[in-house]
Amino acid sequence: MKQVGSNKESFSLKNRLQRGIRDLNKWTVFTVLILLFIAVPVITIFFKLFDGPGESWEHITNYLLIDYLKNSLYLSFLCTLITLFSGVFSAWIVTRFEFPLRTYLEWLLIIPLAIPGYIMAYAYAGFFDYGGIFSWLLSPLGIENLKLDMMNVVGLSFVLGISLFPYVYVSARAFFLTQALNLLEASRLLGVSETKSFFKLVFPLARPAIVAGLVLVLMEVLNDYGAAEYYGVNTFTTGIFRSWFSLEEPETAIYLSALLLSIVFVLIILEKYQRRKMQYTTPKSGKTSIDHRIKLSYPKQIVLCVLVSLPVILGFVIPVIQLVQWAVRTFNEVFNKDLLWLSLQSFGIAFVAACFTVLFALLLLYFSKWNKIYSVQSASKLGVLGYAIPGAVVAIGVMVPTLSLDKSFIEWGWASKFIINGTLIALVYAYVVRFLAVAYQPLESSSLKVNSSIPDSSKILGMGNFKTFFKIEFPLLKAGMLSAFILVFIDILKELPLTLILKPYHINTLAVNAYGYASDEMVMHASIPSLFIILTALIPVIVLNKLLLKNG
Amino acid sequence: MDRILEVNNLTKSFDQGKNYALKDVSFHIDRGHICAVVGESGSGKTTLIRLISGLENPDYGEIILNNNTVSSLKKVVQPEKRNIGMVFQEYALFPHLSVMDNVLYGLNKSKNKKERALEVIQLVGLADFEKRYPHELSGGQQQRVALARALAPNPSLLILDEPFSNLDAMMRHQLRNEVFNIIKKTGVTAIFVTHDTQDALAVADEILILQNGQLVQKDEASKLYNKPQSIYVASLFGNTVQLNKGLKKAFRCPLKEDCCHAIRNENITINASDCEYVTEAIILKRTFLGTHSQLLLKLENGENLTVVTNEAVLGDTLKIGFNSKDVLQFDE
Repeated sequence: MKQVGSNKESFSLKNRLQRGIRDLNKWTVFTVLILLFIAVPVITIFFKLFDGPGESWEHITNYLLIDYLKNSLYLSFLCTLITLFSGVFSAWIVTRFEFPLRTYLEWLLIIPLAIPGYIMAYAYAGFFDYGGIFSWLLSPLGIENLKLDMMNVVGLSFVLGISLFPYVYVSARAFFLTQALNLLEASRLLGVSETKSFFKLVFPLARPAIVAGLVLVLMEVLNDYGAAEYYGVNTFTTGIFRSWFSLEEPETAIYLSALLLSIVFVLIILEKYQRRKMQYTTPKSGKTSIDHRIKLSYPKQIVLCVLVSLPVILGFVIPVIQLVQWAVRTFNEVFNKDLLWLSLQSFGIAFVAACFTVLFALLLLYFSKWNKIYSVQSASKLGVLGYAIPGAVVAIGVMVPTLSLDKSFIEWGWASKFIINGTLIALVYAYVVRFLAVAYQPLESSSLKVNSSIPDSSKILGMGNFKTFFKIEFPLLKAGMLSAFILVFIDILKELPLTLILKPYHINTLAVNAYGYASDEMVMHASIPSLFIILTALIPVIVLNKLLLKNG
Repeated sequence: MDRILEVNNLTKSFDQGKNYALKDVSFHIDRGHICAVVGESGSGKTTLIRLISGLENPDYGEIILNNNTVSSLKKVVQPEKRNIGMVFQEYALFPHLSVMDNVLYGLNKSKNKKERALEVIQLVGLADFEKRYPHELSGGQQQRVALARALAPNPSLLILDEPFSNLDAMMRHQLRNEVFNIIKKTGVTAIFVTHDTQDALAVADEILILQNGQLVQKDEASKLYNKPQSIYVASLFGNTVQLNKGLKKAFRCPLKEDCCHAIRNENITINASDCEYVTEAIILKRTFLGTHSQLLLKLENGENLTVVTNEAVLGDTLKIGFNSKDVLQFDE
């Protein structure tokens, strides 16, 4: 064969440029546009930093910032302990041992996710209060009027930890189910005991999976506003709220947001780093020895059952009992037409925003696939980082540009009042930015399940990208889209900080309503809207877990 | 004869030039020919056909299909505009469509699409199956649906990617003959990728050998077998023993030292003294392999050699040899 010597040439700058121009298609442009659309809040915050901080910034750095940092660190540390302990051990016990009620507890352990942190905070504040259920339970023992003070960092860590540990539980259990048992068998055949194998082999191997779950927990902790505010703990998020609403200093809020963002990005980078260093995946073998769970003696089985029930009781049963007790007492006052109208608004907004979020996730997924420039394809993954950005930060990042856009519109005579800021448009846009990842991941994984040669053969048979999508991929993706939609819908229904900042004046959601009652010292009245949220969130938790079990 | 496909200096790298999946490949295929692309896994076979079908864009070089440039540095014609038929390794049938609808899928623009679909379904011998869904068919039947679907729009070039690798050995031979009888009947130009040289030898008019992304030889089957251009090509088509210095000495054959020589295992004669080059050997180890056995031999001058034979070998020593006409010579 004659060598033309084209190989060095083929990656010369001129040829690269020529290829770039050849491969640039409309999908490349659309992908970049969507990414910019999603990135506007972060870009805004970055550029607004150059305008300098507000007047109170100095006061905050001198007196409050250290408090924010200390509290956030302390909170993160305690939540890590709580979620690790309850998540990892319960996951190990349900995969490794046989005991009564095991199959029920296996999915009941996910259920605390249905209760948002702020609702958990309200319920526990009441539970441990004077004359609460806790002191009532202790009164037969002669202990009267005991109050456990929850209104501090430790109390806050407890309620957040107990509502978030399922993130760790789910990822640890997934790892144990697919990987760990084979390795454990090998280890035991080499003469290492069960307990020693767990700590020397299984736990280190599961570390990347566990840390991935833990990072989700920490992001939710940094995102929380309602619980920290109610318990009077100063965190970055409450600081952002205070500078925005009480001090009316957007510049200061932006500076705090930027700080919080940097913390989150450090977290993400650390997580990626630890994952790269430990690429411990063993080849999947079809059968694991789940069928051979260890059967201990009956009393020991009861102990395991009680141990594993504990997170469920603390994370679901107690708060729900408290809420139900309150709901019964306030039923006549709260349960009326207004509440139903409110629920309708809440569901309506969540429905519309979830539709848009799924749509944008689909567009990003497919536009980046259809674009032929690889670097843009990998950049499209950045679009899902919105989920790491705390809701309050997204809200500030949406508030600032929409405000100036609206002002310009009025100046140019295009509008007579604000048409984006303070309307549903800004709110829905912020939801899309924040929850894009929640929709993107199930869509991506179900599109990966469709063998890529299927859409390829449709194209070779003469169909364009769009026709291939509607005729082939859409029908095969339906299940993925449904689960994406449900997940986003629930997340929006529970969302508090972003909604508080961006919601139109006359519109209310269930979450805002519950928050409103709680901050007006009427926490009992928050129980019914809270129970509405929990009940709605419960349905997909159960359905999705059933699906997981079926596939897993 | 006119050319259906012409490929010039085709180059593709997936890591900006660090490694090449395909490097400077040039060849052409004449109308009506069946061409096999053979090579080890990772040699660039799949990349080549993905570039030809337009599913990937090349980094350099051009592809000319039916006298139209479809891929070059300046433009890439989308796969849906190339009039190519493709049968994928895993068939890629649309799981939610019936056999009939799968075949109709590519026939949108033609007038008598129903008749055409029935015609090809009949051609592949699935006349009563058009209402079935892919999951209701056996592997071989799915393969035939994939073929019918690819043939229905009358493609100017049919590409088959490892078409038989998902089938067991028995099915494989039967289906290979059926599939290529059908292809021959339609007269379509076809290019198929395989790592099984038996498939290639049995049905291809010409064979293209890829090694590390480069085209090392393109020839008719018999020529490739008898005049391989490198030891790599020779060993793709069966056990080959390279004749190194020690072996040349042991057999006392007067071959040039600076040339590379090899002999096919089947051309080594055992228990025979009428060969041109003969040597004595001690059997160090026998491995029973059913129809034949593998022998590890120690030659007169201490050189080791492994041969496979189906002859009965008695005793601990034997004479082995070969003739000069069977020696393969390579340039490097």
